[in-house]
Amino acid sequence: MAAENVTILRTMLRVPWHILLAAAVLVTVGSLALYSASEGSWTPWAGRHAIRGAVGGAIVLILAFVDFRLLRIWAYPLYFVSIAMLIVLLGIGGGNGVARWITVGGFTFQPSEPTKIAVVLALARYFESQPIEKTRSLLTYLPPLAMIAVPFYLVVEQPDLGTAMALALGSLAILFVAGLPWRYILVAVIGLAASLPVLWSQLHPYQKARVMTFLNPEADKLGAGYQITQSKIALGSGGIFGKGFLMGSQSQLNYLPEKQTDFVFTMIGEEFGLVGNLFILAVYLLLIGAVLAISYRVGSRFAQLTCIGVAMMLFLYVFVNVAMVTGLLPVVGAPLPLISYGGTAMLTVFVGLGVVTSAVVHDRPDQE
Amino acid sequence: MSKKVKQKENRRVTGRRTFLLGSGMFLVTSFLAGRLYQLQVAQNNRYQRLSDRNQFDRRVVPPRRGRLVDRKMRLLAGNAESYLLHITPLYAGDVEQALAQLASLIKLDEELVTEVLEKARKGPSFRPILIRESLTQRELSRLAIRSAYLPGVTFEKSLRRIYPQGALTGHVTGYVSPLTSREIEDNRALRELPDLATGKIGVEYALEPELRGKPGAERVEVNARGRPIRVFRDFEPKSGGDVKLALDIGLQQHITEILRRGQSEPVDMASAEVQRAIADNRDLKLHLASGENMLLRDPLGKITAPESGAVVVMDVTNGEVVAMVSSPTYDPNMFTERLLTRDWRRLNEHPRNPLLNRVTAGLYAPGSTFKMVVALAALEAGIISEGSRYSCSGSMELGNATFHCWFEDGHGAVNVVRALERSCDVFFYEVALKTGIQRIKAMANKLGLGDVTGIDIPGEKQGIIPHHDWKLATQGVVWTPGETVVAGIGQGYVLVTPLQLAVMTARLANGGKAVTPSLRSVEGDVEFEDLDISPAALRIVHKGMFDVMHGGRGTARAHNLPSAMGGIAGKTGTVQVRRITKEQREAGITKNIERPWKERDHALFVGYAPVKNPRYAVAVVVEHGGSGSSMAAPIARAALQRALEIGGKA
Repeated sequence: MAAENVTILRTMLRVPWHILLAAAVLVTVGSLALYSASEGSWTPWAGRHAIRGAVGGAIVLILAFVDFRLLRIWAYPLYFVSIAMLIVLLGIGGGNGVARWITVGGFTFQPSEPTKIAVVLALARYFESQPIEKTRSLLTYLPPLAMIAVPFYLVVEQPDLGTAMALALGSLAILFVAGLPWRYILVAVIGLAASLPVLWSQLHPYQKARVMTFLNPEADKLGAGYQITQSKIALGSGGIFGKGFLMGSQSQLNYLPEKQTDFVFTMIGEEFGLVGNLFILAVYLLLIGAVLAISYRVGSRFAQLTCIGVAMMLFLYVFVNVAMVTGLLPVVGAPLPLISYGGTAMLTVFVGLGVVTSAVVHDRPDQE
Repeated sequence: MSKKVKQKENRRVTGRRTFLLGSGMFLVTSFLAGRLYQLQVAQNNRYQRLSDRNQFDRRVVPPRRGRLVDRKMRLLAGNAESYLLHITPLYAGDVEQALAQLASLIKLDEELVTEVLEKARKGPSFRPILIRESLTQRELSRLAIRSAYLPGVTFEKSLRRIYPQGALTGHVTGYVSPLTSREIEDNRALRELPDLATGKIGVEYALEPELRGKPGAERVEVNARGRPIRVFRDFEPKSGGDVKLALDIGLQQHITEILRRGQSEPVDMASAEVQRAIADNRDLKLHLASGENMLLRDPLGKITAPESGAVVVMDVTNGEVVAMVSSPTYDPNMFTERLLTRDWRRLNEHPRNPLLNRVTAGLYAPGSTFKMVVALAALEAGIISEGSRYSCSGSMELGNATFHCWFEDGHGAVNVVRALERSCDVFFYEVALKTGIQRIKAMANKLGLGDVTGIDIPGEKQGIIPHHDWKLATQGVVWTPGETVVAGIGQGYVLVTPLQLAVMTARLANGGKAVTPSLRSVEGDVEFEDLDISPAALRIVHKGMFDVMHGGRGTARAHNLPSAMGGIAGKTGTVQVRRITKEQREAGITKNIERPWKERDHALFVGYAPVKNPRYAVAVVVEHGGSGSSMAAPIARAALQRALEIGGKA
């Protein structure tokens, strides 16, 4: 009885509360933005978003009690389950050739999101098992490349290029921190540049259109470029301090599309200006930095690489979304984690933070 | 190097690379911040200007909603051009003053003005606020002349749903009204169509997907003052499909009149007598407040409201519902514009719930109209034959209980045909007891009682056909024989809708075919599944129903159709709502009309005509109407007669 209480107390003390605090700030910002997106109403989005945030916090705390060693055991099985789900998804297919969602018992989710975490865990597990002598050998890096290529291909086929790129970049970051020699990195970058034309030919027509639009949005102001143009107008007209809560004319008059999901950052920019946007970026940086800092404090190599993978995943979400709404990247359909309305990405981020929490609670350097 | 040292080296590499990665993230984020600075500060002026006069207003063009017509192409629900009046506070300046000026030109409700002012105070000033939804031509021209003095006031054309038949078909058509937030939540594509009106009830709701159509899209180029310059149509809206209903408006009108009148006489609304009655009677006042414009004088000379109840007429061959009357009713046009809280309150304060569609959602004990079910169940099971007689002495004893026949002197020895003709209760007590509730329930279900019919009206009620398991599940106690006795005359727990009674009658009339009701007009012949009821048993029940109208002591013999039109076969039902109290009996108040309205019996009738080759089935329920024979039967006769005349087939 007393021992149990001590365990609980020790666990709670070790929980990285600053990470939860940062997440709570972002969810709160999200709820306020969604409240504005529905013209000052808690329905349909803001209220649910807040509830989901609370559930996410609970998930983190539950994972804090899960022994991190269990994740080591489950790393590979989880990976294969995700791959299987992606294959099933392609098999089911959608009416319009788009298959991104699975519905289980009335609950719809995108398997490609949790796959990100599964790949991070599997890669971390892999590098931990490699003998140290082989760190500089190219052969060590071929199996993980295959481990990335399979889900990447499956997600591209859905087709969801944005998520696939985020998945690939996030995973490659683990290869990088694991010690991939610089010479191979150089070769890979050159090779990728050379193969761009081939990749281009593999894209779906609508994906090509998006990229072309991105390159020259003004040419097609009323078509596919509409979203980017309107997003830039909304952001730009926000100025330094914004037009005020619920007062963004672009957003409130429905010029801005998808303002509750992909373009929520734009809406915040219109109503709260540069100050609001920089505040959000700063909170993200603190959150990501905190996760990276944890990677130095954990004991095992598995935990270390997992934390870095989660940080990279989080960063890519933010980068892709913000770059997209500011017109630096094509519109690929990427949410702003913890702020955009949408359950799967939010859940994925919270599970990622939960894994980090489990690592910092259970995987101490002194235990190695 | 030792393993430990190598491990350390490995950790050092990762640590270094992590730092590099983190720095990279910081740099990239700084770059994003720079981009934001560029957009929001450096180019702020440009984007501010673009936002102020957002050049292209992308608009979704709502589709034209499909129309509803009756079987002779008369319009039940259509679309009328109307003009929407908006005010934009940003341009209007002083909204209160602008509204006052508008009120001097057109009709503006006090409640509306406060509502608009409230919105103007709360919302951002650039958002237009809807003031009125249907300006008349006259109002429009008045406004147009003055438009130069009305900054920020705009009017635009739109389509408004209209129901030319008004209250007459209110319960059939239902109505459309503006989108609710729940609908938008369920289908996010609707966000683009904030002005769309969707069906909320009735056929408008049931056939929503078919009636709505597909929206088109257009882009409007506007100048800095918000005036449209050019319109580009990207794609045309696709109109919703028109739907032809089986209903006949002429018949509907006729039945509505005779049902509402009942056995009373219309009175002159302006007369002093009527005005006095209204002043004295709160109920009458509430009737009139919600749009009622008729009062009656009942046979005792009292001023009273029109009868309430339900009548449904159905084609027994193909299920077409040619008339569906539920009284009282409401005018669906009230809902298409913004419903004023005052009107809504009045509808809800109405003493007889005009929003309830009694045909599909009114639950009534079927009373003696249930006796066909019991008779068929008993005949099929071989419990009785046509010759089996039971003696009615005016009551039956079971255990300690006495069950009375409506005819105190008793019917003597009667067989099933006589028992139906005279509606002998004791006969059916005995037969029900022998047949058992399970068999009765099975036959009732077969004939369509106790389950929804699937008609295109939402909110249909299932009703109750009680049986052993039902009683155990809902009340936790076992079924008793006494309850079977009561169920044998369609009372006790038994509850059905008038529509179910019509379906039952149609299935009896068409020789046991599983016809289902259809509000849509039915083209060509339809085959229905055979219910597998013994034709011999059906013939005996038909005979009983024939004698109700034709026999020397038939309960509705006074209300038959002339033989030239083929006559009616039917059954009356008088359902006790409350027992006559001892005091009332002692005071000699035993007649229905002498009792308070709420305590009077429900009057029911079901029947079909012509007797040979039946065409139409009818079910009539007059709430607290007194007796099935004198109140419901004449209404049914009138309905069948008009239906046959209009249908043209004798």
